Amino acid sequence: MQQIMLLIQYTLVYASVLTLVALGGCYSERSGVINIGLEGIMVMGALGGALVLGCISPDLPGIVIFLAAVLAAIVFGMLFSLLLGVAAINFKADQTLAGTAMNMLGLALATVIVKALNIAASGGSNNSAEIAYTATREKLLLAQGTEFSMFMILTAIILAAAYVLLYKTRFGLRLMACGEHPQAANSVGISVAKMRYAGVLISGALGGIGGLVYITAGVSKANFEVGVAGFGFLALAVMIFGQWKPHRIVLAALLFGVFRALANVNNGFDFLTALNLPQPVYNMLPYIISLIVLAFTSKNSHAPKAEGIPYDKSTR
Amino acid sequence: MELKTSVGSEAKQNASEYAIEMLNITKRFPGIVANDNITLRLKKGEIHALLGENGAGKSTLMSVLFGLYQPEEGVIKKDGKEVKINDPNDANALGIGMVHQHFKLVEIFSVLDNIILGVEPNTAGFLKKQEAREKVVALSERYGLRIDPDAKIADITVGMQQRTEILKMLYRDNEILIFDEPTAVLTPQEIDELMQIMRNLAAEGKSILFISHKLNEILAVADRCTVLRKGKYIGTVDIKGTTKEELSRMMVGRDVEFVVPKKESTPGEVLFKAENLSVASKAHKGLAVKNVSFEVRAGEIVCIAGIDGNGQTELVYGITGLEPLESGKLFMAGRDKNGKDIPLSEITHLPIRKRSKLGMSHIPEDRHKHGLVLDYSLEYNFILQTYFEPRFTSGAGFLKTKAIREYADGLIEQFDVRSGQGAITTTRSMSGGNQQKAIIAREVDKRPKLLVAVQPARGLDVGAIEGVHRRLIEQRDAGNAVLLISLELDEVMNLSDRILVMYEGEIVGQPDPKTTTVQELGLYMAGAKREKNGEAN
Amino acid sequence: METKSVQKDKNFFQKLLAHPGFRSFAAALACILIGLLIGYIVLLIINPSHAGEGMSTILKNFMTRNSEKLRLKSLGNTLVKTAPLLLCSLSILFAYKAGLFNIGAAGQYVLGAGAALYCALALNMPWYVCLLAAVLAGAVFGAISGALKAYLNVNEVISCIMLNWISLYTVNSVLKDFCPVGYKDTFTLVSKNPSAMLPTLGLDGIFGNSSVTIAIPISILIAVAIWIILTKTKFGYEIKATGYNRNAAKYCGMREKQNIILTMVIAGSLAGLAAALLFLSDFSQWDINQSSVPTMGFNGIAASFLGGLHPLGAIFSAYFIQHITDGGASLDTRFYPVQIADLISAIIIYLCGFVLFIKLKMLKASGGIPQKRPDMEADIKHDAENKKGGDK
Repeated sequence: MQQIMLLIQYTLVYASVLTLVALGGCYSERSGVINIGLEGIMVMGALGGALVLGCISPDLPGIVIFLAAVLAAIVFGMLFSLLLGVAAINFKADQTLAGTAMNMLGLALATVIVKALNIAASGGSNNSAEIAYTATREKLLLAQGTEFSMFMILTAIILAAAYVLLYKTRFGLRLMACGEHPQAANSVGISVAKMRYAGVLISGALGGIGGLVYITAGVSKANFEVGVAGFGFLALAVMIFGQWKPHRIVLAALLFGVFRALANVNNGFDFLTALNLPQPVYNMLPYIISLIVLAFTSKNSHAPKAEGIPYDKSTR
Repeated sequence: MELKTSVGSEAKQNASEYAIEMLNITKRFPGIVANDNITLRLKKGEIHALLGENGAGKSTLMSVLFGLYQPEEGVIKKDGKEVKINDPNDANALGIGMVHQHFKLVEIFSVLDNIILGVEPNTAGFLKKQEAREKVVALSERYGLRIDPDAKIADITVGMQQRTEILKMLYRDNEILIFDEPTAVLTPQEIDELMQIMRNLAAEGKSILFISHKLNEILAVADRCTVLRKGKYIGTVDIKGTTKEELSRMMVGRDVEFVVPKKESTPGEVLFKAENLSVASKAHKGLAVKNVSFEVRAGEIVCIAGIDGNGQTELVYGITGLEPLESGKLFMAGRDKNGKDIPLSEITHLPIRKRSKLGMSHIPEDRHKHGLVLDYSLEYNFILQTYFEPRFTSGAGFLKTKAIREYADGLIEQFDVRSGQGAITTTRSMSGGNQQKAIIAREVDKRPKLLVAVQPARGLDVGAIEGVHRRLIEQRDAGNAVLLISLELDEVMNLSDRILVMYEGEIVGQPDPKTTTVQELGLYMAGAKREKNGEAN
Repeated sequence: METKSVQKDKNFFQKLLAHPGFRSFAAALACILIGLLIGYIVLLIINPSHAGEGMSTILKNFMTRNSEKLRLKSLGNTLVKTAPLLLCSLSILFAYKAGLFNIGAAGQYVLGAGAALYCALALNMPWYVCLLAAVLAGAVFGAISGALKAYLNVNEVISCIMLNWISLYTVNSVLKDFCPVGYKDTFTLVSKNPSAMLPTLGLDGIFGNSSVTIAIPISILIAVAIWIILTKTKFGYEIKATGYNRNAAKYCGMREKQNIILTMVIAGSLAGLAAALLFLSDFSQWDINQSSVPTMGFNGIAASFLGGLHPLGAIFSAYFIQHITDGGASLDTRFYPVQIADLISAIIIYLCGFVLFIKLKMLKASGGIPQKRPDMEADIKHDAENKKGGDK
């Protein structure tokens, strides 16, 4: 029973991460920009959040700590996502290449920054890439000793907002038009560049929060040399499985969340222990599942038609 | 919005005869003058045709009107007052709207969403769709534009898509409506309907600019016509006092033979046969080609006529092997690698390469999608179908550079393919007409038994079209089979020895090209008429 | 600053700029310079007093060593790692020519390492068998991504990333039984199975470095071979046609699906071979606790784009990337994190995204602007859509 509770908790934690980041990817791709760089954005968001959690006084009210950390994650994520915006929108660069570079850059930059801070703080003796935040993390939990945290509430709010924004507002209509048929959008006076920047920046904000949630999932310190272990890419798989639709993304995220959670808590289930699978199999499971899911869903996927294609005004 | 009202009130004071005047417009690109001192004056409430071949400068002129390009010289006046148009938003604000040749519609959106996109009624950013719907429905009733506001664009007919585009302009209260080649995708009956809509709009006081190269339609609907040729202004004429011949002479600069002369055909043995062919659709679940049977004989041009999107594309994909068949059989006579004839035999399951080797050539519908590797040089594109042959590739798998160059130079000479640097020119930098010539050269030089030509003259100017038609007739006269897929009624009437009309994936009629009329063809193409026995033969 | 010098002798520079090879070279140089400049700024921010010294450590790499002998040995170390990096970059550029982004080179490399070391340590096989096993292992993972792309339309970037992680966990668990007790690194080949070590052909003597083996000449020969295949052969013609326009490749009867798979098989083999060349040199051992995919495959992306996607250019760019990475590793860790070299590599990759733009600017400066006509631009867009529209 206790194990099932634990499984549910971890499932919700990882599903929150995946939902947030996949929604970020969804907004970027709906505007027409493929965001392979989510992994790097997550790392930078995590860095922003970790710096706040590591420095802020644990005596402050939990909600203040929470808001400060989230805000930092958003700012870091958005600033970093500008790299993609500039490359893809202004310079019409290969979006896959730019995204890949961002993933490497995010990891290297975060490592360098954290190490430099640790070196400076310790006078050269500590050159680890870790930030610890045991006390502050506890303040974010809704119930001590569990994984239920304020982030889950935030995720639910963001999910609802993302749905409404996309389908019920002028902004959403215009954003989707830019990802489907930028020439059409431009011909009715919509600035494709602005909408795409909006999409990329939203993905930066959501990816940043996702990174923060990831590094607080069951641990109270982040090692930036490791990054976020491919979660940015799992989120892309979630997004594809969710067919670029917020309400389906959350279901896909829950499915993936279960498999990721199993890697943490598999030893408590009798029937799983009976299978006697080695731990690496559980570690691989989310990636294997996503490969299988992609194999079955990619053939008829309804990706935004114009994603990945730089928009050139003169090609109307 | 402010801009519009101010311009509108001044217009009343000025009371100029013209809605829009483009005076002495000159627009240069590196190496070419796209518009050379062109003047176009659109009267209020008139339908004004803009006539010219591809490359005559029509689209550049329209781009200038929409603020996409700034002209080096010349001014634009709205209601007699000079205006500066820096981008499409300025044009929208001046009440200028356009139905583009390729519709600017978002396929996953509903008709309503497409109409309101960019001018969405909203409260604090939230859409007010009910309000929009009421206005759209009112407009569609007033102008007789039948639409379903909730249907997705992907699911509706081309005709309804076009009406959606027209409603987009009306929803924005545009006064100046531009139609860019609006009839290319319509049936003759739908064209008549569009003409009536245009007349209604003009009667309501809208000023219409009608861009076309189809003389009959201009004569039928326009009040006046401005003609461009090679970027130059040729003249503006009243339609009442002109003739088709005069217009065509102005457009081309010489007398045009509307019909390429050809001899009576003498069909021989059957070279190609399709039996009960069915092909799945790419657009929807279900069949695009339904149980189609026909044959093509040596020495005849068989033409598949029909409106775009009635299964012709899929039929060709099935015949050439680009897509698998759902059911049915294909037979073809060909030759083996030593040039020896092979009698009619089944090719249903042969891959593309084997069909090609057997003697099937394919001039594809979309030269950029299928026909060319645009980043390859001209010489590499010439060997696209034959690069693996011993004359171009050695036994060890190395390309024979010298042989390839010589071959390319030969084709360039023989087919008059013009390009900047000859054989090593990147195909992307060549003009559409010469790209098409290169494809035709490659496909014809294979000396095919069966030539499948899909809209081979698409996007070419009049002179080039004549050339393409001559090549097809040459093929026929050499005793080969030609299967022509065409959307252009003139082309169908002029070239065919037999006509098969396709409608919704079926062959619905085989009118005799000698006796049929455009009207009869149109009825078949619209599905309004059908022969009892839909099967060919 | 460059524009000024152009003005002085316009004709000469215009001629230079008109040459595509020079444009590639100049664009790469620009990326490197900007990357280094940003790296220097980062050093300044972290610790201004040692920034100059830090930068020179990165750039000089082995030249900072005290004696001729040590310098040569240190150069050897850099070369040992350049060979696999070159092969990874060849893997990526070969796939890129066919329109595929093989970010899975990293995982194919991991699997290649696992296969080579398993054959060497568990099965006691000689080096050529280990080499072959690594090639096959990489090829299999390449084939999986290729087949998923060709038949099921799975984006190869995402499938590759998943396979990267799968290969890491697999290899970690397969090799965990082959470490000395209490250690996280696998046994050295010298201690367990010297026959698995690559032959040196006397190269070890020249460099005074036992890890310098035939790996280095092999990698250069393969670069030349890839260049010949891409430019001179029927196969290269098909691969590039498929990459430029997959629909046209299908139209003219190329088996474009098989070609995609074959391309990924070759790309995977190259990455697998890369790992074998490093680990069978016994230069380093596999760390079974590593929790992220080795950066070799990712640095290959930097090397291939920096080399202008040209196999011979990759030889130089791979050396450069490895040179600064090793230089970065010898930074004084009291002042600086060694990852600054990774940072510079990542910045260079990012800047490579702008290469097309830079080249276009240079082309304009050379006066050789292609005529810009509306219909031509429509072609470009159309073509981009086709590329993306892929195999449907």
